[in-house]
Amino acid sequence: MKDAPIDDTIAAIITPPGGGGIAAVRMAGPDATTVMRRHFRPHRGSADEPLRPFTMRVGYFVDSQGSVLDEVTAVFMPHGQSYTGLDQVEFFTHGGRLVVRQVMAALTRSGARPAQPGEFTKLAFLNGRIDLAKAEAVADVIAANTERSLGSARRQLLGAYSEKVEALRSLLVDALAEIEASVDFPEDEIEPATLKKIAQAVLRAESDVDTLLSSYQGGRILREGFRLVIGGRPNAGKSSLFNVLLGQTRALVTPTPGTTRDYLSEWIEVEGIAVNLLDTAGLRATRSRLEQAGQAMTEDIMAGADLVLWMCDLSRRRVWSELAEDVRRIQTAPILVAANKLDLTPEASPESLGKLGVEGCFVSCKTGEGIPALKQLVQNRIESILPDMTDGLAVTSERHAVNLQRALEHLRTARELLTQNASPELPALELRAALTALEEITGRVYTEDILERIFSRFCVGK
Amino acid sequence: MKHRDFDIIVVGGGHAGVETALVGERMGRSVALVTMDRKKLALMSCNPAIGGIAKSHVVKEVDALGGVMGLAADAAGIQFRRLNLSRGPAVWSTRVQCDRRRYAEYIVDYVSERPRITVIEGIAGRLIVASGAVAGIVTEDGREISGGAVVIATGTFLGGVIHVGQKQIRAGRMGEPAATQMSRCLQELGFETGRLKTGTPPRLDGQTIDWEKCRLQPGDDPLPLFSEYSRREPFAQIPCHLTYTTDQTKQIVSQSFDQSPMFSGQIQSTGPRYCPSIEDKFHRFAEKPSHQIFLEPEGNGTSEVYPNGFSTALPEEIQRQAVRTIVGLEEVKMTRPGYAIEYDYCPARQVKASLETKLVSGLYFVGQINGTSGYEEAAGQGLMAGLNACLQLEGELPLILDRSEAYIGVMIDDLVTRSTTEPYRLFTSRAEYRLALREDNARDRLWMYARRYGLLPEDVLTGFDQLRNRTDRAVTTLERRYVEVASLDGLATRFKRRTHVSLADLLRQPGVSIADCREVIGNSAPELADDEEALGRAAIQIQYSGYIEKQQREIDKFRRAESHLIPEDFDFSGVRGLKTEAREKLARFRPRSLGQAGRIEGVTPGDVAVLSVWVKRHEANGQAGTDSSGERKEV
Repeated sequence: MKDAPIDDTIAAIITPPGGGGIAAVRMAGPDATTVMRRHFRPHRGSADEPLRPFTMRVGYFVDSQGSVLDEVTAVFMPHGQSYTGLDQVEFFTHGGRLVVRQVMAALTRSGARPAQPGEFTKLAFLNGRIDLAKAEAVADVIAANTERSLGSARRQLLGAYSEKVEALRSLLVDALAEIEASVDFPEDEIEPATLKKIAQAVLRAESDVDTLLSSYQGGRILREGFRLVIGGRPNAGKSSLFNVLLGQTRALVTPTPGTTRDYLSEWIEVEGIAVNLLDTAGLRATRSRLEQAGQAMTEDIMAGADLVLWMCDLSRRRVWSELAEDVRRIQTAPILVAANKLDLTPEASPESLGKLGVEGCFVSCKTGEGIPALKQLVQNRIESILPDMTDGLAVTSERHAVNLQRALEHLRTARELLTQNASPELPALELRAALTALEEITGRVYTEDILERIFSRFCVGK
Repeated sequence: MKHRDFDIIVVGGGHAGVETALVGERMGRSVALVTMDRKKLALMSCNPAIGGIAKSHVVKEVDALGGVMGLAADAAGIQFRRLNLSRGPAVWSTRVQCDRRRYAEYIVDYVSERPRITVIEGIAGRLIVASGAVAGIVTEDGREISGGAVVIATGTFLGGVIHVGQKQIRAGRMGEPAATQMSRCLQELGFETGRLKTGTPPRLDGQTIDWEKCRLQPGDDPLPLFSEYSRREPFAQIPCHLTYTTDQTKQIVSQSFDQSPMFSGQIQSTGPRYCPSIEDKFHRFAEKPSHQIFLEPEGNGTSEVYPNGFSTALPEEIQRQAVRTIVGLEEVKMTRPGYAIEYDYCPARQVKASLETKLVSGLYFVGQINGTSGYEEAAGQGLMAGLNACLQLEGELPLILDRSEAYIGVMIDDLVTRSTTEPYRLFTSRAEYRLALREDNARDRLWMYARRYGLLPEDVLTGFDQLRNRTDRAVTTLERRYVEVASLDGLATRFKRRTHVSLADLLRQPGVSIADCREVIGNSAPELADDEEALGRAAIQIQYSGYIEKQQREIDKFRRAESHLIPEDFDFSGVRGLKTEAREKLARFRPRSLGQAGRIEGVTPGDVAVLSVWVKRHEANGQAGTDSSGERKEV
């Protein structure tokens, strides 16, 4: 243990992508048990009691807000006896990428770092869990993984992706050089850019990072499918639409509001893209504990959606004011409105939607009217996310995405400090941290790179 | 133990060599300081100033470890200034213009008062090496001196060649002979050597300068001294002046490019980009019509002036013409010409972080031989090498300052992990933990080493202990003492929703400095206002506290990687799974830890992961269970 060079706690999905019955997430490291206690609520016994090694326990996996993500099986393996030699926890979730990804995301937010390729095996070796003779093999595994990622990095060099990354790196190094020049050469006649100009550059970098992050979304959609979530107030006809889009009766449809209590998940195909269609419980004020739990889940699911298909019931008296309110509330994902029950209200005018500033169309799940138009709108949305990727661009790895996210946060702080007129060493610190976060993608930025810019731009030499 | 003439032999009496000798002496060792002229110790060969951005941090660190540089600069200072005061306290820097002669005299006196230092005049010609360990030196005139450790601090003297126009002179400084034999001896021992270049401006007679035409640059008052325990005697202060080159300067210099050894191919080696010659400035920034020149006095008893910014290797006559085109210098008399100097250095990947060479045990390199430039950089290395030579003689582990505790640590780590392409100097941007490495906390960072190795007198250390306690109390007071927002005038708008804020809250506001709060603090915590020093230190701690906490987590992570050592006998060429480039770089640099390995250019995190596997395997095979280079244990 004491020799482990890495004492981060790491986690990864260890089952292959795709729809298996069960998916597994492994987490290893000194904080594994702490993180586990935060997220696992066993059905029997309490979360805080001592963990029994090598015992399968069934319970809920909850996110940091305490919302249930899935019913899972969890097993704890203490250090010295686990594969990695460190405290290790494995969760077995229901298959389906959404759940397992949410589990993974929750662990990451609680401090586990996404594992590097081959890292569990490396830990196993370093902690003496696998034979010395296997050392070479392990090194080869790591090297092969590195090579592979290098290979893909090289391939990406040809595409728009690398141009974006290079532009980003260059932008940040320039911004940093401006700041550092003013700090390190105060007696020289240099006119560094104003803080405002640097802040603008940082803002551009933020939008570059955003673009890269959305390409991650695009890449993920190709690999894991597009998450289309049907949401709406109770009894708007969500399950009917679900069945219509699915082309079969899968969801139970009744006139009673609140029929769907958790959610349903199915796969359809739209123009060659796998679409994960999710039917959720309606959102409304309710006293039923069960329904409340279902609604919390709905909000979580909507937050992870690539597109929310928001249904409203045209036959309701206050349909437009309710819709306006709903649209305002849903900030976490893009929205498309499907105004249902056109069959009951043939006089409804499509202009009402335009007034709300949302895209959508009128449909009747009952007669099928408007459904092809709706499908077309959904298809347009999917395609609008994808085109960037056809150039070979895509942030493909979860690790890169995590790093990009971190970089984005540092860039925001840097910009804030710049606009507040803070002393320059502080935004410089944030910009460095952003560059460090981007290291895996852009390659390492050395002080020499920054000095190089300073010396080529400014004539220093007092 | 075999007889030896001295415990430590220091070759070279410059800023590095002097610190080496002094720390060795302080630790009870007998030291031979071999130098050409006993009156020329710690001479300022180039500009007569100590400190400046990042360099002043090193001076403070040297001071905190019992070195002499800060004391000498304080004693010889003729103009003191603090730079960057409009920025945050991490980048505040002190710069002291010195009386060149008085500085050297101070050091000569200081050294002569040390009973265990023997100054020997001579030029070291070669090293005596027996079974991989150094045993002494032989001077160029054949005198043998035996010693337990040898520290090479030869500056620009090692194979020095001076260029003025087409003229080339073998010299270590103008008018002083070069050391011509030592480089060959080092090459024969297997060291790789290279050439570097630096330059210096002409000197001027201040009595022939029209000062009215130049802009006055007064020093600060009160004087910001480097050392807390310097005993400065009154010494007249002289201001600096600022002036500019003219169109004629540009014309003369540009027409003479072909006569500059820099452009003619006569000089091949690289000079520092942060200190370009005037011909380089007009060449590379052709669009810039004029450059600023600082006129810096060389001292109280002399009228000689150093025109900072006008380093040149043009022929003497052209220098004379060009300098007279500068505003205020129309009638100036040049007292001696500027020149470029090329000298030998040994790329510093050949030394360990202790500054001991990897090839020869007991042999240390410091200063320009390691590819650095600057008095302060030299002093920092000199001190560390002296300390580590003593520790080695005692059979103790070396002291390696890491990147999170000192600029000295940043510098040495840069030297041993990076290839030198130009003379190295420190900048604050080289320090990733810049907020934690400040002038004001140099002693906080290093006092425990000063105490452990007895580098400072006990009363100095006790005095500092008291200051630390006072600072802690001041921090507590600032955190706990609240003021009414309504009474804050201009600052009140920052706290819209609160009626009371603590003094610490106030200090933490972006863009608010201690000066802005002085009045408020004086009113609400008068007991602090009397202890300016503790208050200043406390305010800085509070201003940075949030950032420092965040940075501390980074530092902890960094330290873990640093503490995973690679055995000294580890065979990098046997590591399969590394990229070829990484394997070659690792074999060349031989990093001491996995952390250090990751900082070598061309070595990726993937390479470090592969390396860690093999290092572990090496250890498990029992080839090197414990680390022979040693790991410093935290106190």
